[in-house]
Amino acid sequence: MEPVASLKQILFYRSKFCLSVEYLELFPRRVYALTGSNGAGKSTLLRIMALLINPQRGSICFPGSTTKDLDQLRKKVTYVEQSPYLFQGTVSDNLAYGLRLRGIAREERARRIHLTLSIVGLDGFEQRKAKELSSGETQKVALARALVLKPDLLLLDEPTANIDGNSQPAFEGLLARLPKYGVTVVFSTHDRLQVQRVGAEFLCIENGTLQGQLTAACLQI
Amino acid sequence: MNYLSDSLLAAVALILSFDREVQLAVWTSLYTACVAIVIAAVFGIPFGLWLGLRRFPGCRILITLLNTLMALPTVVIGLVLFGLFSRQGPLGELGLLFTPLAMIAGQTVLAIPIVANYVLACVNGADHRVIDTARTLGATHLQASVQLIREIRFGVMAALIAGFGRVIGEVGVAMMLGGNIRGSTRTMTTAIALETSKGEFVFGLSLGLILLCVALIVNLFLNILQQR
Repeated sequence: MEPVASLKQILFYRSKFCLSVEYLELFPRRVYALTGSNGAGKSTLLRIMALLINPQRGSICFPGSTTKDLDQLRKKVTYVEQSPYLFQGTVSDNLAYGLRLRGIAREERARRIHLTLSIVGLDGFEQRKAKELSSGETQKVALARALVLKPDLLLLDEPTANIDGNSQPAFEGLLARLPKYGVTVVFSTHDRLQVQRVGAEFLCIENGTLQGQLTAACLQI
Repeated sequence: MNYLSDSLLAAVALILSFDREVQLAVWTSLYTACVAIVIAAVFGIPFGLWLGLRRFPGCRILITLLNTLMALPTVVIGLVLFGLFSRQGPLGELGLLFTPLAMIAGQTVLAIPIVANYVLACVNGADHRVIDTARTLGATHLQASVQLIREIRFGVMAALIAGFGRVIGEVGVAMMLGGNIRGSTRTMTTAIALETSKGEFVFGLSLGLILLCVALIVNLFLNILQQR
């Protein structure tokens, strides 16, 4: 099976921090959980995969795409920060932003926005003011805003950090279902049990070095 | 006291009579200031944005220079441009001196640092995640910058209004580059200065009242925008 993305001999350093990834392949319709202690380099690795920062060495390939234009490649990957930023305006405006950039027609935009909001459990939120949402709702809108673009690779930085305990199982269920929509997901977390609940594959990063890939079952948590 | 109150009443009467001289001065002031602000926006907004988003050696010096330019006396701008536009100057052949175009050029130079500085302050105060968020959703650098301007649009409008307020109330540039020619380059401020010195206090006062109203409206807008 052809991977969605592959990272080869990545080396990134800034002041005293150094991140290295010898080799990593991400396959379609899978969920990967990036674990590691604070400052291990999880967010940095996600930002490198999102093509937001350039490593000093190494390469990221998206085997399915023929272009090398970063702006075009960035349309295949979406990244949701730990504390996501929502643009001013309505929830619908936020979801429409990326669709407009891709030249999606108005009717199709409305259809996809409606469908995606129902997937994340925010039916009827289209006209709500983005700046008036709770942190949990903000997180879900940010996820919907990324998901509506149907990316090949969806990167989530600690997506459940702002979600309360009661909503967490539903959110984890949603993460586990995302491959059904054709998306490959990489999310960072500190919670190893969460990885098992989502049924994700482990990507463990320690002191800036990516360790091997393991499945939750292998670890027998 | 009677002199002042009588003059004030006469000035109001002059305004209400739609005096042609008053109308011409108001029109010249408004259109030169508006054109100058539009040109200043074209240069000042991208410059402020660029300065706020990029970090490079000498950035602090450039910002300090921009701050200094904000405090530049209008007569100094007038003096420098007078040198450029005068017959012996490098741009003398264009014949711009004592035309509305020369005034617009001077007022643009005056407004650009104000607009750029306000925009720079807005960018510095904006949420740093805007650009990255737009980029992760597929925006190019330019599209992400446009999105940032949308997010700080009230601040950008405040920048333009502040620049307009400065330009419409200045006298140095208009006097030195315009020359206060009746029906052509006579603005409200130059007319106030010169007509009053000729003893036309009521005429000056009527223009002063209109200028005060313009300043009041501009500041009302500015306050409304700053509260949003």
